[in-house]
Amino acid sequence: MSRQRASLKVIHPSSEADGDPSIVARGLNVWFGDMHVLRDVDVTLHPHRINCIVGPSGSGKSTLIRSVNRMNDDLEGFTCTGNVRVGGRDVLDDGTDAVRLRTEVGMVFQKPCVFPRSIAENVLFGVQDQQRLSREERSTLVEENLRAASLWREVKHRLDAPAGSLSIGQQQRLCIARTLAVRPRIVLLDEPTSSLDPVSGRAIEELMGELKKKYTIVLVTHDIRQAWRVADHLIFLCDGRVIEQGPADQLFRSPAHEETRQYLSESYCAC
Amino acid sequence: MKRISRHWINRCFVFAAWTAAGLCGLLLAGLLAAITWKGMGAMNPEFLLTRARDFGSAGGIFYQLAGSLLLVVAAALLCFPVAVGTALFKSEYLRSKRLKHLSTLLVYGLNGVPSIIFGIFGLIFFVNVLDTGVSWFVGSVILAMMMLPTVVQAAYQAIESIPTMYRESARALGLSKWQIVVKVLLPQGLGGAITGLFLGLARAVGETAPIMFIATAFSGVDVPGSLFEPVTTLPTHLLALAQQATDPQALQNAWGTGLVLMGLVTCFSVLGLVSRTKLRRFSQR
Repeated sequence: MSRQRASLKVIHPSSEADGDPSIVARGLNVWFGDMHVLRDVDVTLHPHRINCIVGPSGSGKSTLIRSVNRMNDDLEGFTCTGNVRVGGRDVLDDGTDAVRLRTEVGMVFQKPCVFPRSIAENVLFGVQDQQRLSREERSTLVEENLRAASLWREVKHRLDAPAGSLSIGQQQRLCIARTLAVRPRIVLLDEPTSSLDPVSGRAIEELMGELKKKYTIVLVTHDIRQAWRVADHLIFLCDGRVIEQGPADQLFRSPAHEETRQYLSESYCAC
Repeated sequence: MKRISRHWINRCFVFAAWTAAGLCGLLLAGLLAAITWKGMGAMNPEFLLTRARDFGSAGGIFYQLAGSLLLVVAAALLCFPVAVGTALFKSEYLRSKRLKHLSTLLVYGLNGVPSIIFGIFGLIFFVNVLDTGVSWFVGSVILAMMMLPTVVQAAYQAIESIPTMYRESARALGLSKWQIVVKVLLPQGLGGAITGLFLGLARAVGETAPIMFIATAFSGVDVPGSLFEPVTTLPTHLLALAQQATDPQALQNAWGTGLVLMGLVTCFSVLGLVSRTKLRRFSQR
């Protein structure tokens, strides 16, 4: 019990420093049945930055980030080669505990999905050994993570209200709070604003700017303007291949490849 | 010309559909009205709360009612965990589509087995081979087997209808498969399973053939002292009374028993429908 209490005081997961929260993929190939979705992907995603993956629909963006937390494992026909190292450890290795990995690498999806429970229960949904926590500890955890997701002020008086009663934008921030409550070091965001209105989308973008101080952020988006606004590091993916990657400023200002220039300026890619 | 013929074909089709539905409704309403009309004559507190006398031609149906409820409640308790477990296994753990299809066929196959076959199986396996004797518990086991397909299918459909994004979100939070089952699938799928259970109970409470040789006695029995003693039930009591059709009092009691049995079936069916609505609302809170 006391050990649990002590661990609760640690708010900054990255300050635990039990390994570098960077992600390095080398020679990553992914197939779904006969379909070759990722082809010899080599990428480096940097800690405490917003690493943004852009590319046309079907280019393999989501497959790439889902390889980081092994969410592809249960999909039909999934096979892969190569390696993905998180903090130096190959997560695709057979010895890696995928369930535990997902507590270190959190993920937020395109459509907000809140569980049919209260707001507070949603925040605590993924927290292991909840029953060991006292009421105060649970309240602290809820408040901390709702604050971290910039939702506390809006919901602090109705924590017991059904999560489904929140607006879609608030639900997405609740999903982020729920992910942060598990204390990951890396947060994967798979098109988190694509189903939101512009105002809610901007709120999430501002939140990402705050979150990168504590977490490594990997953002998948097909919205070039969003990538331009938030990305620190940019990866352009097309037809399962990495066409170009580097600092976002550099790629937007002077891309090395014609396909990158074309996609970033016209949202069109002929590759 | 074409428009007129299409119009008339449409009207004929609507008329045929209304006629079919009307016939169905009339049959049910007629049956219910006849049983209610005839059975109400026997209906009084004494009929419901006293024991049968003179092989049922006098007295009430208290022990038959209690016996029927005991059999189906025990059957429900036996059936429910097995059915939910089977549905979860099929939905979450069975990867091969061919095996899933095969399991569906098996469930439908079990549903199609005539009830007398279940009775004969119970007689041979439990009463003769395992030497249990005529036992209400064996009757419950057989009724549980008969209810299984209905409850499995209802639970499976309820679990399958849970959107994949709930599973994905839970997995992404680092929940193991077992935790996903307990925290996501069971709370949301339980409503459907309970609905299936009530519908299964509605079928089981009226069954005569599967329990006639293995679980019931026609008279002279009240509260069973152990698992391996018989009970009297409403369907078998009705059968016994129907064989004394020349006695007007026995016939009157037969109608009364039929009305109570229909009431039980209706209660379970209505509970099934109500639970579907209420529990869905609860799970989507």
